[in-house]
Amino acid sequence: MIIIENLRKTYRMGDVEVNALDGITLNIAKGEFLGIMGASGSGKTTLLHMLGLLDEPTSGRITIDDVDVGRLNDYEKTQFRLYKLGYVFQDYALVPDLTVMENVSLPAMLRVDRTEEQTHAGSFEVLQKIGLCDRRDHLPRELSGGQQQRVSIARAMVNKPDILFADEPCANLDSENSRLVLDLFKEINEEFHQTIVMVSHEDWHKDYFHRIIRLKDGKIIRDGTNGSSAH
Amino acid sequence: MGKKELKVAFLLALRSLQRGSRSSVILTILIIGMCFTNMIFLPSMFNGIGQSITKQVVDYEVGNVLVSPKSGDQYVADSGATLDLINGMPGVERATPHFTKGATLKYRQRVLGVSVRAISPSDEKLISPLYTKMVAGSYLGEADTGEVIIGRPVAGDASVRQEDEFQASLGGVRVGDSITIDYGNGYVKDYRVKGIYYTGWSQADSAVYVTSTDMALVDPKALDNADYITVKAKPGYSETFIKNELLAYGVGGNGKVQTTADLLSKSMGRALQSFAIINMVSLVVSIIITTVVLFIVITIKTISSRKQIGILKAIGVDKEVIMHNYGFQVIILGILGIILGIILTLVLAAYMAYHPIVTPEWSATLYITPMDLLVNSVILFIAAIVAGYVPAYQISREDIQTAMRT
Ligand SMILES: Nc1ncnc2c1ncn2[C@@H]1O[C@H](COP(=O)(O)OP(=O)(O)OP(=O)(O)O)[C@@H](O)[C@H]1O
Ligand SMILES: [Mg+2]
Repeated sequence: MIIIENLRKTYRMGDVEVNALDGITLNIAKGEFLGIMGASGSGKTTLLHMLGLLDEPTSGRITIDDVDVGRLNDYEKTQFRLYKLGYVFQDYALVPDLTVMENVSLPAMLRVDRTEEQTHAGSFEVLQKIGLCDRRDHLPRELSGGQQQRVSIARAMVNKPDILFADEPCANLDSENSRLVLDLFKEINEEFHQTIVMVSHEDWHKDYFHRIIRLKDGKIIRDGTNGSSAH
Repeated sequence: MGKKELKVAFLLALRSLQRGSRSSVILTILIIGMCFTNMIFLPSMFNGIGQSITKQVVDYEVGNVLVSPKSGDQYVADSGATLDLINGMPGVERATPHFTKGATLKYRQRVLGVSVRAISPSDEKLISPLYTKMVAGSYLGEADTGEVIIGRPVAGDASVRQEDEFQASLGGVRVGDSITIDYGNGYVKDYRVKGIYYTGWSQADSAVYVTSTDMALVDPKALDNADYITVKAKPGYSETFIKNELLAYGVGGNGKVQTTADLLSKSMGRALQSFAIINMVSLVVSIIITTVVLFIVITIKTISSRKQIGILKAIGVDKEVIMHNYGFQVIILGILGIILGIILTLVLAAYMAYHPIVTPEWSATLYITPMDLLVNSVILFIAAIVAGYVPAYQISREDIQTAMRT
């Protein structure tokens, strides 16, 4: 359902050119839990941002559900992100002045196809899923890092996106909280057949992924289902 | 921009103000409120001064419309007939003749030059509140002769030594005392002081009043010759209406017809111009301060939440929502600031109504109409919106990558 063809991203800084992505070709199937791994600076974030329509490639094409996303205008991209994509960022990125409930509801509130009741019920449901229903009226700063990250996952899930993107969601968490978050992803993936694309640094995360691609200098150096790519 | 998007923008704005820095919100509202007050204070004080001068001039000098001698004439021609004519016109409360003579007052060792105003006491009651301003004794009766009422500054204070006096006086005349008026044409006459008044209008307070009947004994010309005729309009009739009416009836042939506004605009024209400049400066300064403060407040807000904005856009929040979020914050701050400003202004106005700045010519209170409040609110509100939307627009157009990577 995601088709990536010969994707390139070149940053030019003065005379120096950096090929952050250097000809990536890749298909991601529906329901897949894909891990993107690789050393720092290998282009993981850049790739994720391209797929999430947060940045534009220098060349190449991305097709999501038969939509050539490169042809969408700014507003269409925003709508595409709102209706089809979900994001979890490394540093949670919750709105500090909104409560947990308000943070989670925010993307749903913007959808014209949702009534207020549906928004509320949907937000409640995902909060239950992450086990933070009782903290719904708290502000993000009153929660631990792990809890905040779970709220941010709830926010990404509330619109039931086709694809969930996560860029090192566990980077700021201890191993216990990391496991909680990863278990949550696993559950979502299995229960809703949710496509998840996740960037990770940590080797032990790979047990969770169905498939892992490894990047180096903007190129895929390994692509395999879990087990075959492990060592 | 749909309803849902506006709702989300408003929610973000409201929460940011509710849960963000309390002190910055309060400070911003305070500054807008004070700018509002500053904007309206000077103009309304000048307005109040103008109003008080106008009222005094109407009450003690010219009424609403003044008929004065044509240039070259010493008196209004055909005073008696003219007076009767005017008094018969619709909309005229009363027209009264005034006859003034310069004279010298003598009391014990003191001598004082004053103008003696001859009035018809009962007619005067209809056009001037002088009869309510008696501080001692009583007002003139219609046919009184040999009686005079004098202003308190003329009467003076016996406990103040002559060389310490702020204004020359007769040094402490009391009701019942006898003073001598020397009219300078060889006519010298003793008068009993019937009353002492104080109006607060220096021209009137430094004069003395006798009846026309008495003046006719001094100068027979006073009977049918008026220095000027003051015309008081009935409530609901404008000065201009009366003036035009008088002109239509041909009063213009006997004297010069002017409204109080005509007279004041001539005498105060220059002062009004300077007022207008001062008003404009205070207005512009207030608008600039408000604009700059709001611009800085919103710019700081947007810059310190650039990453936040990038994230919001990443999760599908449209740039218009981001922009209106800050827009709404400014609107809310602006409205609260203006409300505070209106309250401050009204409190100030109430205070000044009880403690006016009083001088012999005018007393300064704040003269504020609902229209003034409205106009100033709208001006300040527009300034606030411009100041807020400029940085909000800029930040909302920034691309996600730049915003998120900072
Ligand atoms: N805006 C930019 N301008 C210039 N170069 C950039 C920019 N963004 C990324 N790069 C470069 O592109 C390359 C890939 O960056 P990217 O952030 O995708 O790496 P990453 O794999 O996510 O690394 P990390 O694990 O440290 O997050 C790096 O060499 C980086 O310096
Ligand atoms: Mg990265």
